[in-house]
Amino acid sequence: MVDYRVHVTIQNKPGISDPEGKTILNDLVLKGTHQNVSQINTAQMLKFVINETDKKTAQSTVQKICDELRIYNPMVSVVTIDVFDV
Amino acid sequence: MSLESHELEELKTKIGREPTSTELQIIAAEWSEHCSYKSSKKHLKMLPMDGPLVINEKGYDSGVLDVGDGYVVTAHIESHNHPSAVEPYGGAATGVGGVIRDILSAGTRPIALLDGLRFGDIEKDQHAKWLFKNAVTGIADYGNCLGIPTVGGEVEFDECYTNYAMVDVAAIGFGKKENLIKNHAKKGDLVILLGGSTGRDGIGGSQFASDSLESDDRSAVQIPDPFIEKLIIEAILEARNEKLIHAMKDLGGGGLSCAVSETADALDIGIEMDVEKVHTRESDMHSDEIMISESQERMLIITDNEKLIKLQKICEKFRIECSVIGHVTFDKKMHVKKGETTIANLSTDIVANATLLDLPSKKPVYLENIEKIKSFPQLSNYSEVMLKLLASPNIASKIWVYGQYDHEVGIRTVIKPGHDASVLRLDNGKFLSIKIDGNPKQCYINPREGAIGCFEEACRNVVCTGAKPIGMLDHLQFGNPKDPEIFWTFLESLKGLTDFAKEFNIPCVGGKVSLYNETPLGSIKPTPVIGVLGLIDKKPLKIQKINSGDSLIIIGNTKDELGGSEYFEYIHKFIGGMCPTVDFSESKKNMTAVLEIIENEFVKSVHDCSKGGLAIAISELCMTNKIGCNISLEKIPGEKLDSDKILFSESHSRYLITYENKNLQKLQVILKKYNVSYNIIGEFGKDSIFFTSDSKPIIDLSVDKAQNIWFNSLKEMVLHA
Repeated sequence: MVDYRVHVTIQNKPGISDPEGKTILNDLVLKGTHQNVSQINTAQMLKFVINETDKKTAQSTVQKICDELRIYNPMVSVVTIDVFDV
Repeated sequence: MSLESHELEELKTKIGREPTSTELQIIAAEWSEHCSYKSSKKHLKMLPMDGPLVINEKGYDSGVLDVGDGYVVTAHIESHNHPSAVEPYGGAATGVGGVIRDILSAGTRPIALLDGLRFGDIEKDQHAKWLFKNAVTGIADYGNCLGIPTVGGEVEFDECYTNYAMVDVAAIGFGKKENLIKNHAKKGDLVILLGGSTGRDGIGGSQFASDSLESDDRSAVQIPDPFIEKLIIEAILEARNEKLIHAMKDLGGGGLSCAVSETADALDIGIEMDVEKVHTRESDMHSDEIMISESQERMLIITDNEKLIKLQKICEKFRIECSVIGHVTFDKKMHVKKGETTIANLSTDIVANATLLDLPSKKPVYLENIEKIKSFPQLSNYSEVMLKLLASPNIASKIWVYGQYDHEVGIRTVIKPGHDASVLRLDNGKFLSIKIDGNPKQCYINPREGAIGCFEEACRNVVCTGAKPIGMLDHLQFGNPKDPEIFWTFLESLKGLTDFAKEFNIPCVGGKVSLYNETPLGSIKPTPVIGVLGLIDKKPLKIQKINSGDSLIIIGNTKDELGGSEYFEYIHKFIGGMCPTVDFSESKKNMTAVLEIIENEFVKSVHDCSKGGLAIAISELCMTNKIGCNISLEKIPGEKLDSDKILFSESHSRYLITYENKNLQKLQVILKKYNVSYNIIGEFGKDSIFFTSDSKPIIDLSVDKAQNIWFNSLKEMVLHA
């Protein structure tokens, strides 16, 4: 068993509006000199450290935790899970 | 798509050709139950909708009442049940947003919100708890961001809402009569879409499902953006002040399809529009998607060329987008184009007026034996029963809920949540009292009497603040209307409400019907929710603290009516029995007497007797005033009954009046004048809630202990259980 760092990124599904991201883009970034920025999306990230046999199991365990505990609402959001060695 | 085959045939016959795909989508949205009221419309006509204070104007989404001195109050109620059951936070929040725009579209400023929330059994069901917690947060976040106070509401839990959420939102608006939008349009006027961009969220929400479009189930998901809503409110009100708006409609269920066809139909005009002119969130949206998207925070406005420039300036100032999407024609057609290509061209009359149904109804079988009462073993310890009831989710204090809502912003709130009804100060020196009430437990046992009971309870609550009821909002929520038994319960409730409204001259100023409320376990219990608006010409009841030595009078008879009571359902787990019925003449008499007593300032407080019965209502007085009481059950007016019936029966038309003894004489003069049934049943003092029956103590409960349980149990249940 090895420790893995698992990053869970929760963000709105594509096509679902993201008022926070849009506000940061329009009212902060584009108000400055950064006209080359075209999109900002907000997301929430959870960082796990988990003791598992391998990377793949670490990922599926975390996915299971997120689903079972309703850490995100699958109707609204998607999660992406990245696993790193500690 | 929800269009049924015979409806498709009907459409083909009416237009004399095959409909285009866009036309099909428009019709499916507009002929859905949600938009067309096809099952209920025929029957809703029975409700009285006119009155001396009611102002009717074509195309209004909300009811308008004249409150004198050139001012009007607007009111509307909406639900967001399906979206809230899927995504409670966003569903509840966007429900608030939708009803606010209905108020705005009459040209009035939204000044208050009320919420009725219903969920499954949160004591056992984790999912119900999750729905409840998030719906409350959604409402709080949205209302608080907008600076509109949430001044009242109700919360109830019942197993019939397992895996479901009932979120009803009522909104109140206020403004000058001269500023009301007089919906009108002339040829060549422009059609403008203002506010948030049109995206793929909420597509097909009003039809629940859609097969030809992407069906990722995101249909039900709507993301709230209260900050855009706030900007829309301010921009619209400024445009209203400058008289830039000819006609206006909020975009709700059915999106552009509904807003365009209904506006055109109401104003007797045609509208030609181009989907390419609509500002969208994504570049690759199909025209059909644009037409039926239910993206939030959008308004449709009709104005002319000259005023457009000023309107655009205002939008620029508030940094909200507005696009000219079309213009007014006089062919009474809804003509939708994509660039130069026509993609839909339908007579608005056909789109906006679905064929109304006359559904069969049949008395439900379950009602045959429901009024029979089981016999229960006599309970020995009523103090324990009381503690159980005070901790039960339906009776426990809802401070955890309304404590999250800003209920004072706008500084109009004179009587705050936690009392019978809330009271708002109006600019003309008058006061508006409002309350919403529902009671599915009683409506299940007797749909007619239960609905009347909700209506009377809401009236009682506003009367308790010194207000005379002037208008009613009805929100009729039932299961699948195609089931004759369910449709029967709908009709019975509606008839009951009609009878009460006529007898008391309270016009129905707005409402909503929500059908197909089904959970995996079957249909919900009949859930009409009634809102009542009351007007106080002089000043509202000034609630004073009860002191030792003050006494208590009860007005109204206590009857053997435990059906649907919390005592039967929570303590005995029994659904059945005789539900309370309202005696119209007694109800009227009691209301008049209470109003006169309040007007003469003879009392310290007036409290309505409802959920949990007399024992709970008196305990609430003790707990909120932190004082004990000594009550004799044999003094309670009504026929001779067992103690549990007197304590917990939820009979209507009862008021608890607390007063200083020096006012007794004057009080009695009024009570005798109206010949109401009343009695002095006890006095306040010491530190325990103490009830006796034939001089023997039957309840002895420390006020502190009771208060602690009543005040904290709901919060404990949600956060720590």
